[in-house]
Amino acid sequence: MIDKKNSGGFRFSRIMTIAIREFRHTVLTKGFIFGAILFPLVMFVVIGVMPFLLSNDQVPVRGTIVVADSDGSVAQAIEIAFARYQTKIQTGIGSSTAALSDALAKSQRGDVAALDALSDITTTVEVTVRRMSIDDDLAGIRDQVQSGELLALVEVPATLLESDPPADADVSLLVPSNSPAKTTALFARIARQATVVARVQRTGTDLAKAMALVREPQAQTARLTSTGTKAKENLELRFMIPGGFMMLMWIAAFTSANQLLTTTIEEKSSKVIEVLLSATSPLELLAGKILGQGFVSLLMLSTYGAAGIAGLAFLTMLDIVPLSSLILFFLWFLLAYFMVASIMAAVGSAVSDLREAQSLVQPAMIVMMIPLLLWLPISENPTGWLATITSFVPPIGPFVMVLRTTGAVEPIPFWQIGLALAVNGFSTIALVWIASRVFRIGVLMQGKPPTPMELLRWARAR
Amino acid sequence: MNPIITNSTNEPAVILRSVAKRFGSVQAVRELDLEVARGALVGLLGPNGAGKSTAIRMIMSLIRQDSGELRVLGGDALDAKDRIGYLPEERGLYRRMRVGEFLIYLGRLKGLPRQGLSSRVESWLERIELPGVFRSRCQELSKGMQQKVQFIGAVLHEPDLIVLDEPFSGLDPVNARILISTVQDLHRQGRTIFLSTHQMAQAEQLCERVVLINRGEKILDSTTREVTQRFSPRAVEIEPLAGIHAARSALEAIPGIESVKAAEDGRTAVLLVNERTDPHAVMSLALAAVPCRRIEIARVSLDDVFVRLVTEHGGHARQPVRGAA
Repeated sequence: MIDKKNSGGFRFSRIMTIAIREFRHTVLTKGFIFGAILFPLVMFVVIGVMPFLLSNDQVPVRGTIVVADSDGSVAQAIEIAFARYQTKIQTGIGSSTAALSDALAKSQRGDVAALDALSDITTTVEVTVRRMSIDDDLAGIRDQVQSGELLALVEVPATLLESDPPADADVSLLVPSNSPAKTTALFARIARQATVVARVQRTGTDLAKAMALVREPQAQTARLTSTGTKAKENLELRFMIPGGFMMLMWIAAFTSANQLLTTTIEEKSSKVIEVLLSATSPLELLAGKILGQGFVSLLMLSTYGAAGIAGLAFLTMLDIVPLSSLILFFLWFLLAYFMVASIMAAVGSAVSDLREAQSLVQPAMIVMMIPLLLWLPISENPTGWLATITSFVPPIGPFVMVLRTTGAVEPIPFWQIGLALAVNGFSTIALVWIASRVFRIGVLMQGKPPTPMELLRWARAR
Repeated sequence: MNPIITNSTNEPAVILRSVAKRFGSVQAVRELDLEVARGALVGLLGPNGAGKSTAIRMIMSLIRQDSGELRVLGGDALDAKDRIGYLPEERGLYRRMRVGEFLIYLGRLKGLPRQGLSSRVESWLERIELPGVFRSRCQELSKGMQQKVQFIGAVLHEPDLIVLDEPFSGLDPVNARILISTVQDLHRQGRTIFLSTHQMAQAEQLCERVVLINRGEKILDSTTREVTQRFSPRAVEIEPLAGIHAARSALEAIPGIESVKAAEDGRTAVLLVNERTDPHAVMSLALAAVPCRRIEIARVSLDDVFVRLVTEHGGHARQPVRGAA
């Protein structure tokens, strides 16, 4: 029997019962399992496996290419490059860069060492080069390329080699229509590089020296961590991380809040709401629904977040997201979720179908798009005036603070974090309260959707 | 099923005093006084749009009255949700949820422990002749079956007070009879039952007391027996063996008869009795005066009372109002 003493009032067990149902009936659907769990897992696996798939995807290159130039120098350079590649494979020198450089340095024409198009090729390459003049009739050759008898036709205009300075012209490369993309790219690269080699040789300049002079050195960037050790740096990734965190929070909050909107409308339209309200108070129902979808949101956050953190660990860059940032991220997420969920639940309770909801949700959505627009300016200057001011503007404040705390080079002043927590926390409580007032009236209303003024009246009603 | 725990107080299960509710320009309920004694089975009757569902929703604290006092089980219905079972007029289920899961969910919301809940649901499904639907999705059930599932949701937690809004509407006679029988069982266990209906035959069969409202106003509140006595037409129906034309003069001669109204078929007639004479005495005198195939005291049905009172009080209720809860 029911405990008569505790039969009424605000009961946490009821809220949890509602929350668990919300959670189960959202999570145990094919759409959610695929979208929120399988999709990130598959993406993670694909990203991990892709390099191996790509490296095994190279098809052998066997056949003849025709190189037509004015003096045969480009054809010769290409021929030597392929011959040297064959030597490397046959002598088992291997593909290590040092060994290859050594082999090339010992070759009879060391200046061709600059031609590195074949340095990262791991498949079989057995190519014969047929030399022709650019002035020859190449129509027959083109037919052979079209039929696939030849691998390619490379045409190097005389002006590319003979003009001083060289003309701004292009090498022509014709391949059969079924030529693999990687093979075509290889021929294009080798043709370009061989043209440069031939051109420099004509000037009598030491090619290796010239190439060494114009080579831009890499900047080996490292971050000095708080313990003084050097950590790997990836500037692009560091720029992407704040946006990634903010997007993750935005997607998790809005997916669940949108689900809240949909389920509330469904409960109203299917008339089950009155049955529920005979068993619970509107506030318990609202709390249970928000809590249940909050669990859904946290699950999404966990799966995507875990994939992201695993990725950072894989890149040995875990230290760029300190634990304190993760804790703050969790707090900002809670504030953002409760704000968005309150708005969606209130709207869902007030309307009878999704179409009616659009007109009420759109203004809120426009406001909530602002953080996406602020991503770049705030990521570039997380301590600037724009970032500082928008941190205290609900409901976008939590999103801005995530951009700032995960992207700032220098720490965000403690008072700003505290004030943002206070302002956005107070706003969250106010929004939840207003939503509960609207919800208790809205769920039993039928007919035309309320105007914003009517919603305000509901919020103020006794 | 366990018998109910009787409350020490003698306060009626439901009390409404001068309760009023207005939706915009429409006065849905006006100055409604009503009491439902503990253990009673009371019917709230009225035409469509009379204010029955609004009154019930106020009793359930789903909407708040504009004025007046309202007490349910000694307080506010919000504080006694687990002791009240409610079947709303507008039925609703989670379409994709399984029947058993849905009823367990409602049971949990009503404070029932998880242990034994599943078998309790199974037992109710058997009792109400819905075996084998525990794992069916709600959307797979017929409308009548869905209604029975919702009825179980209202009584699963063995509430002290059961409020049923049009419980038999849309049911075929077989299923209506099953529900009527179950409601009678629940009443025999001592539970208070308050139901609204516009089907007079069922109200007459079930309710020991009826309250009739029209245009939000109470126009009758009495026991079913009192209603039939009060509205009795004081008449005797007779079918003489020789036909009514042959018997008319003998019947008109009986003391206390005001008039003899012959039916169109010429075989039966109604003898209207004056207020000073007992219809049973008239029946005896008529039997002695005229050989009869059939003779009986004319009875009034709730249906007759309903039509008469509603007509007297200004006809049918207003049309339902859009936007009103």
